[in-house]
Amino acid sequence: MITATHYLALSLVMFTLGLIGVMVRRNFITVLMSLELIFNAVNLNLIAFSFRLGDLSGQILAIFVITVAAAEAAIGLGLIIALTRLKDTVILDDANEMRS
Amino acid sequence: MFESHLLSLITLAPAVAAIGLGLIPGRYERLVRWLAFGISLGIFFTSLLMWMVFDPSMGGMQMVEKADWIPQFGIEFHLGVDGISLLLVLLTTLLVPVVIAASWTSVRDKVKAFHICLLLLTTGMVGAFLALDVFLFYVFWEFILIPMYFIIGVWGGARRIYAAVKFFIFTMAGSVLMLVAILYTARVHFETTGIWSFDYFVWLETASQIPMGGVWSPQMLVFIAFALAFAIKVPMFPFHTWLPDAHVEAPTGGSIILAGVLLKLGTYGFLRFNRALFPEAWEKAVPVIMVLAVIGIVYGAFVALVQPDIKKLVAYSSVSHLGFVMLGLAAGTISSTQGAILQMVNHGLATGALFLLIGILYERRGTLLIADYGGIATVVPVLTGFFLLVTLASIGLPGLNGFVGEFLILAGSWPVAPAAVVGAGLGVVLGAVTMLWMVQRVFWNPLSHEENRGLRDMNFREVATVLPLVLFIVWIGVFPMTFLAPMEAAVRLLLE
Amino acid sequence: MPLEQFVPFIPEIFLAIASFVLLVGGIGLGRRGMRPLALGAVGSLVVTGILVWLFGRPAGEPEVILGGMLAIDTFAVFFKLLVLASAILTIMLATGFLERFRYGGGEFFALILTATLGMFVMASGVNLVSLYVGLELMALSSYVLVGYCKLEVKSNEGAVKYFVLGAMSSGILLYGISLVYGSLGTLDLMEIKTALVAAPQDNLVLMLGIVLMAFGMLFKVAAVPFHVWSPDAYEGAPTPVTAFISVAPKAAAFAMFLRIFAGAFSPEIDHWRSVIWLAAAMTMIFGNIAALSQDNVKRMLAYSSIAHAGYALMGVVAGTAYGTWSVLMYMLVYTFMNIGAFGLVVLLETRGYAGETVKDWAGLSKKAPAAAAGMLILLLALAGIPPTGGFMSKLYVFAAAINAGYIWLAVIGVLMSAVSLYYYFRIVVQMYLVEGEEAESGAELVRDRWAEGVVLVSVLVVMAIGVYPAPFVGWAQGGLNALGLM
Repeated sequence: MITATHYLALSLVMFTLGLIGVMVRRNFITVLMSLELIFNAVNLNLIAFSFRLGDLSGQILAIFVITVAAAEAAIGLGLIIALTRLKDTVILDDANEMRS
Repeated sequence: MFESHLLSLITLAPAVAAIGLGLIPGRYERLVRWLAFGISLGIFFTSLLMWMVFDPSMGGMQMVEKADWIPQFGIEFHLGVDGISLLLVLLTTLLVPVVIAASWTSVRDKVKAFHICLLLLTTGMVGAFLALDVFLFYVFWEFILIPMYFIIGVWGGARRIYAAVKFFIFTMAGSVLMLVAILYTARVHFETTGIWSFDYFVWLETASQIPMGGVWSPQMLVFIAFALAFAIKVPMFPFHTWLPDAHVEAPTGGSIILAGVLLKLGTYGFLRFNRALFPEAWEKAVPVIMVLAVIGIVYGAFVALVQPDIKKLVAYSSVSHLGFVMLGLAAGTISSTQGAILQMVNHGLATGALFLLIGILYERRGTLLIADYGGIATVVPVLTGFFLLVTLASIGLPGLNGFVGEFLILAGSWPVAPAAVVGAGLGVVLGAVTMLWMVQRVFWNPLSHEENRGLRDMNFREVATVLPLVLFIVWIGVFPMTFLAPMEAAVRLLLE
Repeated sequence: MPLEQFVPFIPEIFLAIASFVLLVGGIGLGRRGMRPLALGAVGSLVVTGILVWLFGRPAGEPEVILGGMLAIDTFAVFFKLLVLASAILTIMLATGFLERFRYGGGEFFALILTATLGMFVMASGVNLVSLYVGLELMALSSYVLVGYCKLEVKSNEGAVKYFVLGAMSSGILLYGISLVYGSLGTLDLMEIKTALVAAPQDNLVLMLGIVLMAFGMLFKVAAVPFHVWSPDAYEGAPTPVTAFISVAPKAAAFAMFLRIFAGAFSPEIDHWRSVIWLAAAMTMIFGNIAALSQDNVKRMLAYSSIAHAGYALMGVVAGTAYGTWSVLMYMLVYTFMNIGAFGLVVLLETRGYAGETVKDWAGLSKKAPAAAAGMLILLLALAGIPPTGGFMSKLYVFAAAINAGYIWLAVIGVLMSAVSLYYYFRIVVQMYLVEGEEAESGAELVRDRWAEGVVLVSVLVVMAIGVYPAPFVGWAQGGLNALGLM
């Protein structure tokens, strides 16, 4: 029997993987994928809870998250295309002009 | 009508005038000078009027004005004068026209900006002495830093940027904790009464309700926060290191204001806030203050002795003199406190005059090193005469003002702390030696530098600038009662 | 759903339409249409302000519209007007800037308007769904704005970093939201509060959710240790955008912060307060210390605005009504002083990125006394010295912290503001105190009437608040009449 706890555990794993991916990976495309992982962890959580609670608002939020994530990915890709035109790279560290 | 707004007139008129001055094109330098001089003189006469209206028999605040400022926090524009602040306001408004006259030829750059700074500074200083709302006091207190920073930083000597920044950071660092203390006390009042108030009179009740105990008890910490801000300003040993730098680099006018008024804000704050608001904590702190005061007296005099630079020498002797004031306040008897207040005025007059005369020398010769002078008494007899007189006043020769103040302090402190008086007496002797030795090296001794032979003596303007200060120096020395009488009732009220 | 519910929503609808019109107009008119488009953008923002005043104000008690998504209360009105003011000032700053650097204006103005729309929703949202959508609308618009100068590597780089960390923080916030939803079963702030009041809980999932949401919000206000994106984004962004993203999104994020934490989560205050306390202290300390060593003025102001977020967080920590309106007051003053300071950076930005190092300010008091005096006042305000508004706003957050018993936090705050004097005054030293050749080496000011107007307005507002704060305090306190707060 698959319970909410299983979903929760899976989403936690996805979330953690996503966070680690964003922080350690330097390839922008991988970072973008890690971000998707985070958002999908959230969606999984929301839908699992929504199902368990018998409340729809979680699923509604999940639909919003999916929509926004699409917009986010579009903008992210747009930004990296602009950067690639100037620097010919998708590796974030190669574009380090500013001291941080 | 006029009388009822006298204090806000004295406080705010300089700031309004400064804004007006800002509208005049900067190239009309003479016009700016005369206008600023006229305004400051007008303010001085207005404060003389205040002195005439003042009733010396009353100890409480007079000519009180009150208006809402930030009603949501119970903060008011609340001014009032008593015998203590009366003298200090008079001193301030007297020194401002003197400074303008003294800067007539020495400040050549950005003349308009200099006078704007000076007038804004006047508002800050007078406001701080007159404010009866603790928050308002803090606002004026902080505000003073900005024009003073610019006076040191823009018109100062070679290392002026360093000195200005040091002055600013030191005084600011001291006073920010005072803000926390003020807000904390306001909170205590709010918790007990449910009303916000920063009113000084209300706080006379409130402050003693803050829990009191050991050094780390809230009242002690609040007391220390206030004391730290004032001790840096005074400056008490060991917080004095900014003063010599600021004095040496500041232009003549800046030095006069700094020594004459700003340092008094510190001692005034001790008396008005630390002493009056927290009598219990004050009792505990008296030994520490006394020890630091005596160390300051002796240390200042010793360090002054070896200074090669006239201004630095006078700056260190200021540390010593302000130690006397702190000793008088710490002893806490009526006569020692009166002496301390009078000594604040005395120091303002004498040291102000000294810096003025040093500035005159500097303008002619371009150096402040004692070694570059010597034997000029015959070349500039008038200057020498004034310098000697002011020096004697500063070291406390009977018949001049310094004697009255020091005598009252020492005599008043004797029953309370004889050991401290002995230490301070040593300081008196040492200070006298230091100053007289300096005068001897500068004005007597053989004339070894040829370029000193052609020095010009003081001209009419310069004599006219020093004369009012000398007048008060002699007046206080001969008839001290004119100045002691109005403050007596106020001191009595404050100490009891 | 009755149609009357849309009446208070008219300003937002108008804003959305206006942004589309500007976008299309920008394509039609090209670069020649800069001034008309800018006037159109400013005009539509002003009209929006009027519409907010006409339709967006609560008749009396706060009310909710659109199925409990948005609240109509004075709290929202306060932040909406503040955000509008910063959007108008930004557009006035940006017009001349975009002309000088030869970029088109239509998309820029449209993006400012959509970001404003997002912040409107952030200011009035009372449901985590609407708050999230508003936040993302604001964030997505500002990612593009930061990367607007697409031929500058710095601008691109800043945008990419801003994007990655911004998206990550949204993810963290969302994960927190999902956990809170899971343990309480609702996304409505009022219902969350009711549930927590009825049954104070300390189950692990809820706590984790609240803490993750706090992390997400701290990211959005650029609090330490979640600040790493902000110096790069601020430095890289076109300066008018830096001015914008350093104030408006921060103000809107604080609105959201207060609604969620001081409002919905207030029953659990003992659980989240220490997190915010720590963040506030670290933010003040780190922001000010890091600013000390910056030579690039934009970067210095970036660190300074990190520090300012720390001061404002003190009001959140207090968790009282005083704390809440002190944050409102802080955001009001902060908006104007920061936009004014960046406005002067824009005016100094004549050759590429000149005007950006501290040395470029040398001798400004000689070349442009009025501009130098304006910068002086703004810097004094940033440092919190009377009689400027900056002092007044700091005063209230310190008072709120002390009043709530957080005296040590206030002590850290005042000490750090003494530290901040040092770096603000480095610019003052350059403007006023250096002389001779050094003073000659500074940059020249460009002539730009609109940007000068922005600086003038900022200086006047900052001074007005400093000299007579009573009415402004009244407005900020009026903002307490909010749904779900207190």
